[in-house]
Amino acid sequence: MVQGTLDMLVLKTLVLGPAHGQTIAHAIEQGSEDVLQVEHGSLYPALFRLRNRGWIAAFWGTSENNRKARYYRLTPEGKRQLAAQTSRWEEVVRAIGRILNPVTEKRG
Amino acid sequence: MNWRRFFRRGETDREQREELDFYVDVTAEEYIERGMEPDEARAAARRKLGNAIQIREEVYRMNTFTFLEGLLRDARHAARMIRTKPGFSAAVLLSLALGIGANTAIFSVLNAVLIRPLPYPGSEALVGVYNKIVIQGQIFEDAALSPGMYAASKESARAFESFGVWSPGAATVTGSGDPEQLVAVTATQGVLPTLGVPAYIGRWFSNEDDSPGSPETVILSYGYWQRKFGGDRGVLGRTMVIDFVPHQVVGVMPRNFRLVDVAPDMLLPQRFPKIGLGPEEFSYNGIARLKPGVAIAPADQDLARVWKIWAEMEGGGETLQAFHITPNLRPLKKDVVGDVGSVLGVLMGALGLVLLLVCANVANLVLVRAQSRQQEFAIRAALGAGWGRIARELLVESLTLGVAGGALGVALAYAGLRVLIAQGPTSLPRLDEISMDGTALGFALVCSVGTSLLFGLAAVLRFGIPGRIQSARGATQGVKQLRAQNGLVVVQVALAFVLLVASGLMMRSSFALRAVRPGFTHPEWIQTVRLRIPEALTADTEQVIRTQSEILRSLSSIPGVTAAGFASGLPMELEYHNGFPIDVEGRTAVGKVSPNRAAKRISPGLLAAQGTRLVAGRDFTWEDVRDHHGVVLVSENMARENWGEPRNALQKRIRQGKDSPWLEVVGVAEDVHAYGVNQPAPATVYFRAGGRSATFAIRSERAGTEAFVRDVANAIHAVNPNLPLAKVRTLNDVYRGSLARTSFTLVLLGIAGGMALTLAIVGVYGVLAYAAAQRRREVSIRVALGAEPNALKWWFVRKGLLLNSIGAAGGLVLAVGLSRWVASLLFGVTPLDPLTYVASGAVIFAAAMAASYIPARRAASVDPMETLRSE
Repeated sequence: MVQGTLDMLVLKTLVLGPAHGQTIAHAIEQGSEDVLQVEHGSLYPALFRLRNRGWIAAFWGTSENNRKARYYRLTPEGKRQLAAQTSRWEEVVRAIGRILNPVTEKRG
Repeated sequence: MNWRRFFRRGETDREQREELDFYVDVTAEEYIERGMEPDEARAAARRKLGNAIQIREEVYRMNTFTFLEGLLRDARHAARMIRTKPGFSAAVLLSLALGIGANTAIFSVLNAVLIRPLPYPGSEALVGVYNKIVIQGQIFEDAALSPGMYAASKESARAFESFGVWSPGAATVTGSGDPEQLVAVTATQGVLPTLGVPAYIGRWFSNEDDSPGSPETVILSYGYWQRKFGGDRGVLGRTMVIDFVPHQVVGVMPRNFRLVDVAPDMLLPQRFPKIGLGPEEFSYNGIARLKPGVAIAPADQDLARVWKIWAEMEGGGETLQAFHITPNLRPLKKDVVGDVGSVLGVLMGALGLVLLLVCANVANLVLVRAQSRQQEFAIRAALGAGWGRIARELLVESLTLGVAGGALGVALAYAGLRVLIAQGPTSLPRLDEISMDGTALGFALVCSVGTSLLFGLAAVLRFGIPGRIQSARGATQGVKQLRAQNGLVVVQVALAFVLLVASGLMMRSSFALRAVRPGFTHPEWIQTVRLRIPEALTADTEQVIRTQSEILRSLSSIPGVTAAGFASGLPMELEYHNGFPIDVEGRTAVGKVSPNRAAKRISPGLLAAQGTRLVAGRDFTWEDVRDHHGVVLVSENMARENWGEPRNALQKRIRQGKDSPWLEVVGVAEDVHAYGVNQPAPATVYFRAGGRSATFAIRSERAGTEAFVRDVANAIHAVNPNLPLAKVRTLNDVYRGSLARTSFTLVLLGIAGGMALTLAIVGVYGVLAYAAAQRRREVSIRVALGAEPNALKWWFVRKGLLLNSIGAAGGLVLAVGLSRWVASLLFGVTPLDPLTYVASGAVIFAAAMAASYIPARRAASVDPMETLRSE
């Protein structure tokens, strides 16, 4: 997995609303149509790191099956970061695309 | 990374585990819904999650300072090691506690006496004001001021913000209960403002108080106020009868108030007549506060200018010139502290050496212990521990030992200081200010950490650096290891030698002091009591001497009294010493000022009571006193200096200054070391009795007993019931007081020397015992092959002696180099006294011999079969 992309995916997942770790893991896995296969464990240090940066916040809540679970939600700072990282990501992708397909570039 | 997270790292980990458990539970439930078996579902969920422990560790690492975490673990490990190796730990902690404790205690004393400022606000600006006087080429730095100098300086000195003079003395309080003699200080108005200590209640002296003719006033000490008036604030304005004159109480000074080195019960105003202050009588201590920014040298110049003008106006120029009088200001602290600095410096140095010794000894123990753990280190290194990790652990262990030892040492120092203060050595100034403060604790901490680093480094350098960690399996003795230990032993022996020399020199000084014939005999049999007959009681001076002789008769009739007399001051009573310029007929050139001589007024019989021999001629008689005969006695050295032989002094004439009548020398008394046995006996002139104050000397074998003191008091009160008794003690107390500083130094240096010797013996023994144990197999083989056990034994002893000789040689060089530091404390022995050096060498040699012999014998007496079988 490309460095830093996991962070971005987590933030993106949380745009839809608060979620706990398991939900986030499954959402990423399914959203990418199983292309991005993650060991779900590696999500948790990333969550912790994001929390320390203040991009996401954690709170204890009750899960669908009535159990105590830690939920995460996006902070305003997290939203800003997501926007910035997404546009940077798209730039990178475009740049890579130009290199991989120079012909298209000429024609366009 | 922040501290809040560091301290919450345990909790965070618990939450993390909970979260991961939740993941597994929820995922497993999903799998079960899809139709998996529960056990299988949980296993699959765990697989999906990955390594939970690794995740937790990853998060935990984000929350901690890895280095600190390791440090804490090492410290816990060290604490466990201390508990599980009680023998090793006790040896290390005890040596450290003794070394650090002794140093902390002495440092506390040093700190209180020398480093801390005096307990007066802005005390750096305070100076003692003295004269420097040159008499016969001899310089006296601390001659006091005369009233004339005081008046002139107060009037026109520009360098002083405030200035005053004071003198310690005694005062008698009567009128309520028994008459009581108290320590009093007479001070001019300027003294208290100079010190800047406000009155606890009431006020300081005013300008009116020290003008003659105004009502008499007094300021009390806090202690006396509490004792006598129970702390009643209504005491202000009350009247007390002091020296038979009513005085009005105007103030009370705060608790612990001291005037330079005196703790007076009361302060009385010093009154000088406004006119007719002669140039003579240099007996007032000056004290001044310099104006901000004024240094001592310009203040000296300013004062010299003032005195020059004064001398021209008052006609004192002759005196000023004859004595080469120049002003001599010095920081007040020097007055308070005196020359105790050199003693404390030497002690601090000695104990610093002891600490180094302790360090070397502990380093040795730590080395031996680290050696036995070499296999552990090797295994850990093989498992991937970096050398830094092992080095850190060794250092943390040392630090833990050092800090624990230091804490014990602080407790020891605290106890030691309590004992010291309770003993109250009179030679220590500012005794009541001694305490363990933050600085002393800081010093103890620095000592602990410093020593830990030193002996920890020994182990690290030996085992903890790259390339040094290797398997110890099958290795016999480490040559390098022994080399390090041998080096430490050599250092120990050298340091012990230095300290033995220092205490040996002090011991020789002490013997030399005790061997001095002080000019009196059996001081323990001489009861002294100081009496003053005030003007208010007897105005007539003739009546004074009659009363004194009556008292003497009354004292002589006490059973067991063999002789009695009185004098203006007894030997060693420095507070009453006095001196005059003495002209010698036919020898002192006309118009020249003759040299100052010690002077005493003595009664007939005093010399007998003191046990001072008459070398020639006779003692005073009561006829001399009654009929004012012009006779005088001189000391033997005075006689020899002027007339060659004591006998030749008889019938020669001397006088006290050119305006006094000539007096005929009728007797020569043996020399008396009146300023302390460590000082040369002063050339002394004995005048016949006179004056209101006198110390009575009563010789009796009962002296000092309570019954005898009561008899003395009764005998005196039979003559006059209103006379207060002061300074009731035996001359021995005074005599011992003059030896006190030497004894104090001797005892402490003796302790240091003893500790050093013990440590060195332990060091030599430890290294040889270790070497012997290491070579047991080799020795066994040699014995089995037919080596003489005796030869082997001597091989070990020789090794011990070799180490010792190298150490002693180093110690000799060091001792010679350092000896000049103790020179000022020595008496009757040179700093390079050969006997002391030889004796110290012999002691070290004998100790090393004993310390080598025991392990050597044990090594040589091994049973080869048993040893080889067990190895």
